[in-house]
Amino acid sequence: MSQDNGVHAGSGATTDASLASRAKNPKKNGPKWWLISLIAVIVACAVVIGVTVAYGKKNDSADASAKNMVADTVTIGLKLAPTNLDIRNTAGSALDQVLIGNVYEGIVARDSKNQVAPGLASSWEESKDGLTYTFHLNKNMTFSNGDKLDAEDVAWSINELIAKQYHDADAITAVSKVEAKDADTVAMTLKTPNSNLLWTLTGRAGLVFDKDAKYDLKTQAVGSGPYTVAKFVENTSITLKANSEYWGKNKAKTPTIVIKYLADDNAAVNALKSGDVQVLAPITESLAGPFKSDSDKYTVKAGNGTDKYVLGFNNASGSKLADKRIRQAIRYAINHKEIIASRGGADKALGGPIPSLDPGYEDLTKLYPYDQAKAKLLMAEAGYSESNPLELSLTYANIYGTELGDQLRSQLKPIGIDLKVNVVEFSTWLQDVYTNHDFDISLVDHNESHDFYSWADPTYYFGYDNAEVQKLYNEGVAATTDKERDAKFAEAAKLISEDAPADWLFNYRITTVTAKGVKGFPFDLNQTVLPLYNVTYSLAEFSQQ
Amino acid sequence: MSGNSNNHRGTADRLAFASAALRSMWRRAEGKFALIVLALWLAIALVSLIWTPQSLWATDGYHVWAAPSAAHWLGTDGTGADVFSWLMAGSRTNLLIVLLTVIVSAVWGLLLIAAMVTRNSALANTSVVVIDALISIPTVLIALILAVPLGASVAVIVIACGFGYGLNLARVARPAALLASRSAYVESALANGASGWQVLVSHIIPNIVPVLAVQLSLSAGTAVLAESGLTYLGIGVPSGVPSWGHSLATSVKLINVFPLTVLWPGLMVTVVVVALNVFGDVLRDAIDPVANPALRQTVVAAEKEDER
Repeated sequence: MSQDNGVHAGSGATTDASLASRAKNPKKNGPKWWLISLIAVIVACAVVIGVTVAYGKKNDSADASAKNMVADTVTIGLKLAPTNLDIRNTAGSALDQVLIGNVYEGIVARDSKNQVAPGLASSWEESKDGLTYTFHLNKNMTFSNGDKLDAEDVAWSINELIAKQYHDADAITAVSKVEAKDADTVAMTLKTPNSNLLWTLTGRAGLVFDKDAKYDLKTQAVGSGPYTVAKFVENTSITLKANSEYWGKNKAKTPTIVIKYLADDNAAVNALKSGDVQVLAPITESLAGPFKSDSDKYTVKAGNGTDKYVLGFNNASGSKLADKRIRQAIRYAINHKEIIASRGGADKALGGPIPSLDPGYEDLTKLYPYDQAKAKLLMAEAGYSESNPLELSLTYANIYGTELGDQLRSQLKPIGIDLKVNVVEFSTWLQDVYTNHDFDISLVDHNESHDFYSWADPTYYFGYDNAEVQKLYNEGVAATTDKERDAKFAEAAKLISEDAPADWLFNYRITTVTAKGVKGFPFDLNQTVLPLYNVTYSLAEFSQQ
Repeated sequence: MSGNSNNHRGTADRLAFASAALRSMWRRAEGKFALIVLALWLAIALVSLIWTPQSLWATDGYHVWAAPSAAHWLGTDGTGADVFSWLMAGSRTNLLIVLLTVIVSAVWGLLLIAAMVTRNSALANTSVVVIDALISIPTVLIALILAVPLGASVAVIVIACGFGYGLNLARVARPAALLASRSAYVESALANGASGWQVLVSHIIPNIVPVLAVQLSLSAGTAVLAESGLTYLGIGVPSGVPSWGHSLATSVKLINVFPLTVLWPGLMVTVVVVALNVFGDVLRDAIDPVANPALRQTVVAAEKEDER
């Protein structure tokens, strides 16, 4: 080593000297003007070309608008991308959103009020005991590949779902069998009455596939809807082409619809500004601000949805929150109005587990109004105060931002709760909270509709076990009329809310921005039900602005 | 620059040395800038321990993303909390992170240097190879791995950065350290029975101080950047702990709408990082007797005094 070093040291000195002598040379020559001017010329050229191209494009589109009033293509920016097109096996509402009603159709459909509407079946009857449903199908229905769609396909699709336990099969466990009575009639037999059945069939459970078609479910889709999938690029885009042979009335009005998935909010806003997309859904209320003030060019609207931001407490015995007084204190201490205002004011207060679009909804926001004095009193009874606070942890996924945690911590501080906020990866939340039930307080957006069952299931992560609620829920499910079901659910929801096993921060409403000239884009529920047949974009109207 | 003279210097001489170095730093414009910024940073961090204009937890949902006003000098953030107060409080977290990172990387780097220039050639050769291999692992990757068991925490930043920058430091300082360790005075010190550690402390380290100054101040600047980056990724400073990275990460989502809120933390980070980098350069020039004639005079004066 010391020998090596001798060599290093010796050569080091000479290298230094030669480096030093070289290093001085360029300084004498001064700046290289030719290099600087060359760079300047290149930059100037780039700017000129860039500007010309950008303006050239705009002129092109103006010409096009003069020729035809309605655009051939509408581009829609959405956020959550499906990983593949396999709606039989892949979870995630992104697939439901783009495929159901557009590419695949169900035996019944769902409208934007979350109500059951005719789909492939034009009408249906339910037996008195609620155990048999008879569906009457439309006539002359076809798939996009030309195959005929009849009762055989309907029965096969639902029976396959049950037999192979595809995704969402557990939603129709009550169904014992589905039979094709004749070409246009399907009979469904149930083991027990289920008042939720029809609504469930508007989702994946009721989708009808072509029995005879062979295709790769992951990258292709053969359905009976007004659109077909022309191109699918994973995590990036889906191109829908109108199905010219569509059997129904609601034929596609725009020949091509491109759906782009823009996960980054800022990129999405830029895409809308530059005209890359004509619709953006969802966008946060704060980001939508500039579009709101530019009402000549854009329409901003918040739509109703079933997203519930649930601040779930750990109700299991042994948890710090097993004490009802503390749970109640938290509910009194949270200023929902202020939280909603800080998010832009589009969201709706929600006092209980059922949102306004679901059966059994009732305004329960009066049960726990914002009342800090009452909250302090309850905490004092439980033995805590601001100087002697109760330490609780709040665990939630980072997709919801850090603001909610910071706000809750500052709102709970004065009543004597020291909230430790853990903002984690969604997978960590799933592991720690959802699977292992290792948490005090959790925050998550339960966006599913008709998910009231989670309050009747004591094994669900919040561990809420109330025999009365379970009884009411089961009675509601077994009800044979909607009215009876709604009454039972509403009664159970009120019991739950009074018990304070969670706090419902708000009912998140999705804000959508559309460029002027876009018509027929649904605002309500558009993250799960997004019928696109009616969407048009008239360029003339836009270019006049 | 001889290691021996360092040894004999008393406290008074050290002070004279330090003040001469500081004075020559202050004489240069960039030195003034660096010193002022760093002093302000330290002062703000200390003040924030006892006072901020508004409480950090005073959220106000009705006034989010507000423009600067008399009550909120730099406006409010997404929860309605005061941006200025959060930045003030953030400066202490960042200062802590920078200090810890510099200490960790200095200790770790010096250990590696010691291993690389040791007379045990097997250890020296292996450590060079191992360091060259380790240096290729990106700091962010180390942080991502550390975040799995540790979660988002200051420790992730400090360990990942300290580890990575220590490797760099060792690699860069090795030639100078090697030169010193094979010099005649080290040979004679060893012959006189000095232990390896004594040689490291009294001969090798003084010889690589200029390199250390530049490298450590670069590390300090990079640590500030790393804090912002890692916090943005969600593996740095945990939520609820004020830091510049936290302020940046929460405001950058709305850069299209409220660009001002990104500007303030961004400005803080930029100014401090520039100041730290400049500081290293200026410090190197100021404490290197070859580059700084004023220092030579102090040393000469001290030696004269010694003679008396």
